[in-house]
Amino acid sequence: MAATRAGPRAREIFTSLEYGPVPESHACALAWLDTQDRCLGHYVNGKWLKPEHRNSVPCQDPITENLASCLQAQAEDVAAAVEAARMAFKGWSAHPGVVRAQHLTRLAEVIQKHQRLLWTLESLVTGRAVREVRDGDVQLAQQLLHYHAIQASTQEEALAGWEPMGVIGLILPPTFSFLEMMWRICPALAVGCTVVALVPPASPAPLLLAQLAGELGPFPGILNVLSGPASLVPILASQPGIRKVAFCGAPEEGRALRRSLAGECAELGLALGTESLLLLTDTADVDSAVEGVVDAAWSDRGPGGLRLLIQESVWDEAMRRLQERMGRLRSGRGLDGAVDMGARGAAACDLVQRFVREAQSQGAQVFQAGDVPSERPFYPPTLVSNLPPASPCAQVEVPWPVVVASPFRTAKEALLVANGTPRGGSASVWSERLGQALELGYGLQVGTVWINAHGLRDPSVPTGGCKESGCSWHGGPDGLYEYLRPSGTPARLSCLSKNLNYDTFGLAVPSTLPAGPEIGPSPAPPYGLFVGGRFQAPGARSSRPIRDSSGNLHGYVAEGGAKDIRGAVEAAHQAFPGWAGQSPGARAALLWALAAALERRKSTLASRLERQGAELKAAEAEVELSARRLRAWGARVQAQGHTLQVAGLRGPVLRLREPLGVLAVVCPDEWPLLAFVSLLAPALAYGNTVVMVPSAACPLLALEVCQDMATVFPAGLANVVTGDRDHLTRCLALHQDVQAMWYFGSAQGSQFVEWASAGNLKPVWASRGCPRAWDQEAEGAGPELGLRVARTKALWLPMGD
Amino acid sequence: MSAHNRGTELDLSWISKIQVNHPAVLRRAEQIQARRTVKKEWQAAWLLKAVTFIDLTTLSGDDTSSNIQRLCYKAKYPIREDLLKALNMHDKGITTAAVCVYPARVCDAVKALKAAGCNIPVASVAAGFPAGQTHLKTRLEEIRLAVEDGATEIDVVINRSLVLTGQWEALYDEIRQFRKACGEAHLKTILATGELGTLTNVYKASMIAMMADFIKTSTGKETVNATFPVAIVMLRAIRDFFWKTGNKIGFKPAGGIRSAKDSLAWLSLVKEELGDEWLKPELFRIGASTLLSDIERQIYHHVTGRYAAYHDLPMS
Repeated sequence: MAATRAGPRAREIFTSLEYGPVPESHACALAWLDTQDRCLGHYVNGKWLKPEHRNSVPCQDPITENLASCLQAQAEDVAAAVEAARMAFKGWSAHPGVVRAQHLTRLAEVIQKHQRLLWTLESLVTGRAVREVRDGDVQLAQQLLHYHAIQASTQEEALAGWEPMGVIGLILPPTFSFLEMMWRICPALAVGCTVVALVPPASPAPLLLAQLAGELGPFPGILNVLSGPASLVPILASQPGIRKVAFCGAPEEGRALRRSLAGECAELGLALGTESLLLLTDTADVDSAVEGVVDAAWSDRGPGGLRLLIQESVWDEAMRRLQERMGRLRSGRGLDGAVDMGARGAAACDLVQRFVREAQSQGAQVFQAGDVPSERPFYPPTLVSNLPPASPCAQVEVPWPVVVASPFRTAKEALLVANGTPRGGSASVWSERLGQALELGYGLQVGTVWINAHGLRDPSVPTGGCKESGCSWHGGPDGLYEYLRPSGTPARLSCLSKNLNYDTFGLAVPSTLPAGPEIGPSPAPPYGLFVGGRFQAPGARSSRPIRDSSGNLHGYVAEGGAKDIRGAVEAAHQAFPGWAGQSPGARAALLWALAAALERRKSTLASRLERQGAELKAAEAEVELSARRLRAWGARVQAQGHTLQVAGLRGPVLRLREPLGVLAVVCPDEWPLLAFVSLLAPALAYGNTVVMVPSAACPLLALEVCQDMATVFPAGLANVVTGDRDHLTRCLALHQDVQAMWYFGSAQGSQFVEWASAGNLKPVWASRGCPRAWDQEAEGAGPELGLRVARTKALWLPMGD
Repeated sequence: MSAHNRGTELDLSWISKIQVNHPAVLRRAEQIQARRTVKKEWQAAWLLKAVTFIDLTTLSGDDTSSNIQRLCYKAKYPIREDLLKALNMHDKGITTAAVCVYPARVCDAVKALKAAGCNIPVASVAAGFPAGQTHLKTRLEEIRLAVEDGATEIDVVINRSLVLTGQWEALYDEIRQFRKACGEAHLKTILATGELGTLTNVYKASMIAMMADFIKTSTGKETVNATFPVAIVMLRAIRDFFWKTGNKIGFKPAGGIRSAKDSLAWLSLVKEELGDEWLKPELFRIGASTLLSDIERQIYHHVTGRYAAYHDLPMS
């Protein structure tokens, strides 16, 4: 018999039946770091870039060990990477989709061949449990590449009318940088964009991936990875070659970036925050819901903490089971195969310590349990309860690995509490009653809802958020559109005006004086602000003259102000639940009724357009086209939303298209009737209610339409406020309870709107002074409007009995 | 085995509100195997522990006294002595928890174990095993005869039709009668979970059966036997029962547990869902026939660093 290998401890273990260490070897990760001489640079244009005279920061695993040093990029490195991506874009985007598909498939194969290196490196450096990286991230990365390869191969047919944006600047957070990068580079590369990714220092897995991609050969510059500090973010974002910045990280940083990018060339997509939500009702399988909590917060699967809402009648039972379960959680080195949670480094540890201390001082109860090493930076699973809802801690984002539990009484109240935060990322609903689960699933204002599950992901399911979680999407069809723009639209240019004063823009309304009596055909145009279904006198009790094309006075319109905007938004909010709750068919019927009313009023409308200088024929055509637009959107909205089938899940995932809420629209000066209707129609068709500022040059046509809306629509659906354009824009853009804003006007106004939207991070669509051809189908009623007018929600419905 | 479960009054409110979410339980079952493993000495020690939980079983039509004798001898000496010595475990008295046979073979087993000089209990299946589709009277008589022959543990099957038609009181009464027929012998109630239709039924049947005694997943004769999802539901029922009554009820998965790796997963499943106090032969058994030889092979590999040939290890 060969030499005995058994250790001395078997006897003790036989009695105690404890778990032992299950270390995963990280030799290959270290060997890879050795190939870089333990000094990581940047991967640009298919080559390692290790410029001299750069600061370097140590790359450590979260426990202590110093693994390598990382060079910090500087502005010139950023410029070099963007230039490489710009050069690569020409070739990459010109290739047919099939070629890109092949390349992505080859990258997936390379990942498969080197997966051990990837998962050990990622787990070693981030400290996350290797199980999640190995069975989760790395597998998902390959699925993402395969899914997007298929999308690329069908791009010419399926995405006709769209073209890739160009170079994408991608900014990644310190945790989950590898997976977050995969979610974003896959769609970007698939549609033909090229990427410059900025990763926080000491994140080698994205660099390794860039190397694997670069070594594939023919397209070296399509994926460039720089590592550098947060101070590089604005530098990358404002590089002239960058067409879009996809930011993934902390809410405050995203907000700051939104402000600093106002008026800049690059578009901005934000994915902010990490908190998730779990709703546990009294009809739930409580034990399974407890596992859902573990999946969400204590298994290294999700990046952040969890807000847990428990129905009062099962509070005691749920808390008991939760605490019992917490006692069995194990934490340790990420590369241990038998731990639930790893450590996430000193910064994460500080953050959670501060949160828990504050929660305690504000009266919360804190329960901690589990088999956790006592030294820093390990932190035990933590359950916080009895946190007073009004305390400051209850408002901030819950950090990893904390669960904040609070009770609710009814499903209605659960929705109020759950929707009462500015965050709108993901949530799960635990209920065995289908009706209740769907009611909650549809009612939650978040991007993803899982019914009786938590944290499931799939490449074909769009993932994103709403409200202050940012409104960018990845995965599924929505992820592709993030990196596409309608073909043939003029390039988005910088409209930055350095001397635009955000504090005073549109603040004061120039006073208007009477300009003489109105001369014109009867009937006299309607007068007032159309708010809450009727014409009202403006708060300022003053009016502004509107002149026709020959300079004569056409009429007076009301001078709306801040108070009128407030009233209009309120009216729109009141009308919203009823309108959004209507079936698409019912909404379409009202749009059709409005179309019919416009046609009846055709002669009046045409004569008003004539006075603004249009030919009679053209004026009549504009009225007819407006009516057609209303009918077309009514018809289009009825074929909305669809079911996705996901690998590994029995049951459907619904991709819902939900209304945004109250949409503010500042209409362009040109096409006073057609543009107004073209914007109104999709907004209403998808269930939004609107506050509109009509054409400043000729608001009278919009007011004519209001006369019909007053008879056809329920009150408050569409509200039209006339007045000083800049002032009204300012009021709407700064309004925190406006869910989205479209602005068609000056460059300065656009810059202001983009800047001001940082307040509640409402999605904005600003024309930046570019005119649109509203009479053309693509620009006046194209799919771009359909995309922007609603938000997606993915509703996961696992089945089984 | 520990003192008898004295039984509990039937309380149908315990099962009226129960919810079991099937897909969520399936996910948990998948996870539990990926989240806990043991290696090296821990693996060896855990495997030896697993041996002490085994109800070494033969339930074949062709069982005779000779293979029962061999089985009993293997129960007494489950792991080669030199391997145990190498692990310094030879003085721990490691045997399987019991041998499990058909009622007609109980006498053979008792005799063989006596000859081997040990007091490993003999478990007998009974009560119309495996279908349970005989008259109650003969099922009870079968139990009494097995006890008379010297079986100290009786594995009975429940009447699945009572579960499928929701006759919980009748089920409870039957099990109570089984319990009474057992006398001093221990009762394990086989739920035959593969034939109960839903996990909710598994939970309810577990609750009712625990109002009598030990619960066991399956006979080994159904198409689906011991699976993790079913076990999770039963273990949760055991914990709920313990929280309600303070009684610890034992658990026995049986059928389809063949590899050493499986047995480790079962141990960690019980450890995770119920805790260490359930990891003793009084409260946890594994019904298996071929599992033991795979464990022995793994121990051999652990001790020697080599993979064993068929003839290196004695057959059972």
